[in-house]
Amino acid sequence: MKARQGRFVRVLVGFLLVYAAVVLVTLGLFFDRFSMTLLPDAPPVEIVNQSLVATFITLFFLRFLLQKTPRMKVVPYLHLPIQQHRLVTFFQTASLLSVHNIYPLFFFIPFWMRFVVAGDSIEGNLMWIGAIMLLILSSHFANLLVRGILRRQVGVFYLLMTILIGTAYIDEVAGVGLQQRMSGFMFTDLLSGSATSLVLFLAWAFFVMVASTFHLARSLSDPEGEHGEKLPDAHSFQVPDDWGILGHLVRSELLLMWRNRRPRHYLLLSIFFSTFYLVLMLSSGDVFGGVAFPALLGLFASGGFVLNYGQLMFGWDAANYQALITRNIAFHTMVLAKLIVLRTSCLLLFLLSLPLFIALRPDLVALHTAFLFYNVGITSALVMELATRNKQRLDVTRGGGFFNFEGISARHMLWIIPTALPPVLFLQAMHESPDLGLTILALIGLGSLIFTEPLTRYFARGLRVRKHTMVEGFTVHAR
Amino acid sequence: MHVEFNGVAKTFGSKRALDIPSWILENGDVVGLVGSNGAGKTTFLRILLDLVQADRGQVLLNGKDVRRQSRWRAQTGAFLDRSFLIDYLTIPEYLDFVGATFGLTRKQTSEALEPFASFLPLSKVDRRRLIRDLSTGNAKKVGILAALFITPKLIVLDEPFANLDPPSQMHLKQILSELAADPERSMIISSHDLGHVTEVCGRITLLHAGEIQKDLQTNTDTLAQLHAWFKEEGVVSAT
Repeated sequence: MKARQGRFVRVLVGFLLVYAAVVLVTLGLFFDRFSMTLLPDAPPVEIVNQSLVATFITLFFLRFLLQKTPRMKVVPYLHLPIQQHRLVTFFQTASLLSVHNIYPLFFFIPFWMRFVVAGDSIEGNLMWIGAIMLLILSSHFANLLVRGILRRQVGVFYLLMTILIGTAYIDEVAGVGLQQRMSGFMFTDLLSGSATSLVLFLAWAFFVMVASTFHLARSLSDPEGEHGEKLPDAHSFQVPDDWGILGHLVRSELLLMWRNRRPRHYLLLSIFFSTFYLVLMLSSGDVFGGVAFPALLGLFASGGFVLNYGQLMFGWDAANYQALITRNIAFHTMVLAKLIVLRTSCLLLFLLSLPLFIALRPDLVALHTAFLFYNVGITSALVMELATRNKQRLDVTRGGGFFNFEGISARHMLWIIPTALPPVLFLQAMHESPDLGLTILALIGLGSLIFTEPLTRYFARGLRVRKHTMVEGFTVHAR
Repeated sequence: MHVEFNGVAKTFGSKRALDIPSWILENGDVVGLVGSNGAGKTTFLRILLDLVQADRGQVLLNGKDVRRQSRWRAQTGAFLDRSFLIDYLTIPEYLDFVGATFGLTRKQTSEALEPFASFLPLSKVDRRRLIRDLSTGNAKKVGILAALFITPKLIVLDEPFANLDPPSQMHLKQILSELAADPERSMIISSHDLGHVTEVCGRITLLHAGEIQKDLQTNTDTLAQLHAWFKEEGVVSAT
């Protein structure tokens, strides 16, 4: 059964990789058809040129979340009689074979061949694609450099990125368009045959490549390495003693998601979806039309964390599960703590994305609110039902990249059907009275909160029944 | 705490891991569980803690089946391996967490830890370092401390002396001897170190291929008897 699931996941990952590549190639080749729906009067090259700076900032942010540094790959070879600088150079070069570097090319090369090469200046056309390559290269090495420098101050990076992206967003919303004009100017200038921007990109790429290589070499002589993570102020976050073990379990869940790579990625990607990605979705106007798309948007805007992180709960605890179940902790309390975390996440993501709904799609605020209650009541419970059946150990220290499917089985994939389909179908059925539909949806969610206690008991009973198989699964996969 | 194994058997595939017709630990007993690798010591402890389900038989703690109720967990302190730790917490965070499972406030936890300062001086440890970044020896000390400071009625330790430095081994023996003075408290200590285990435990249960080979009250000859047995079985030379 497990072997079949493993094959299923491998096939699925392969399919998704090919699918993503095909989508990007198609988008590159037929960008004019896509851009026509958004900006019918603007030429495709102009649209892309104006968006390149913003695109590379976003890609850099994603890299930071998902891409690993080669440092840990170098360490096992350090005792061998190979010069350190050779190892560093080799692994720095090998790290270029990353999906983060290859996948953008699936869009840019077809786009360049179809739309840019058609231009007059051959030098300009070559410089344009050269600049794109240099930006991908710079983004790659800048990520390695920044990750190396900030590995103990990750919060600073998120703050800086938030300020940067926030500024870009304000620039866009306020209509200043500074970033667009700058981006457009640099790449249009390249197309006209001027090499000024290319020289700048080349210098920047060279600088970050040398700096990141130098930093990697230096960090290898750091005795604490990546295992020396010290927390600047671990005790700043306490729970009152009155909250008892329930408070400690909630705190422990929050620390789990913040101090481990993969759960942290899930958290940050949920926030990313509910903010920056949501802006894109809400700005798409009625391109997607109908009821299904807004309903899914509502489901994910406040329930994204529940659906992403929640589905693997208990699996996150696999390495420490025996520490929990041999202690004086009732399964009921364990479930309740996780439900509190999931439900609170719905409220926080709702509040985070509410201003975006108000600013961009005020007509969807009611839907967003209805789905808050639905997610708190129903989605959280459905995901908890799935989570209490997890029995595969997860390596929480690995990244949560798009293609890390560890712990995700066919059941997880199919669970989206009972989670997403009923509200979508219900709203579809109620499309003639949408307000009534949303009110009923919200009331169903709110009403289900009354059943928190019996539901918690039900989930706790499930954990008790499956206790030995979970322990076995969590232990077996560790070997 | 009174512990009773009744007809407990467990097989993994075709391999018999444990087969114990009857085994009893009385209140106040301190028993050392010895045996070669694969003898069934860890399976014994994991069935006792209800982490593994026996194929047949039952384990009774104070007369109650461990599988049917969980009140024994409020009176048990156990440390088998690193999975008994929460490795993404710091040492103080983990100990506060364990204290909270027994209803202790942070202050009460801190007070409860004071008698163990010689074993793991919390004032000297790096309070911001995560448990997963500790050395094997220090992580083991944290796990043992977490099992002991709540002064449970049943203490279950797997290889507590391995990976500890000599002063820590001496401190641990001292602490276990003091805890053993409580006539209501029972201990099961699994170990390969025959010297330490005969020194600390009043009784030795020798397991071999999942079965109890010997059950001895410790005296001055026990260590020699065990050495002789292992030598006779060829286990010592084989390992």
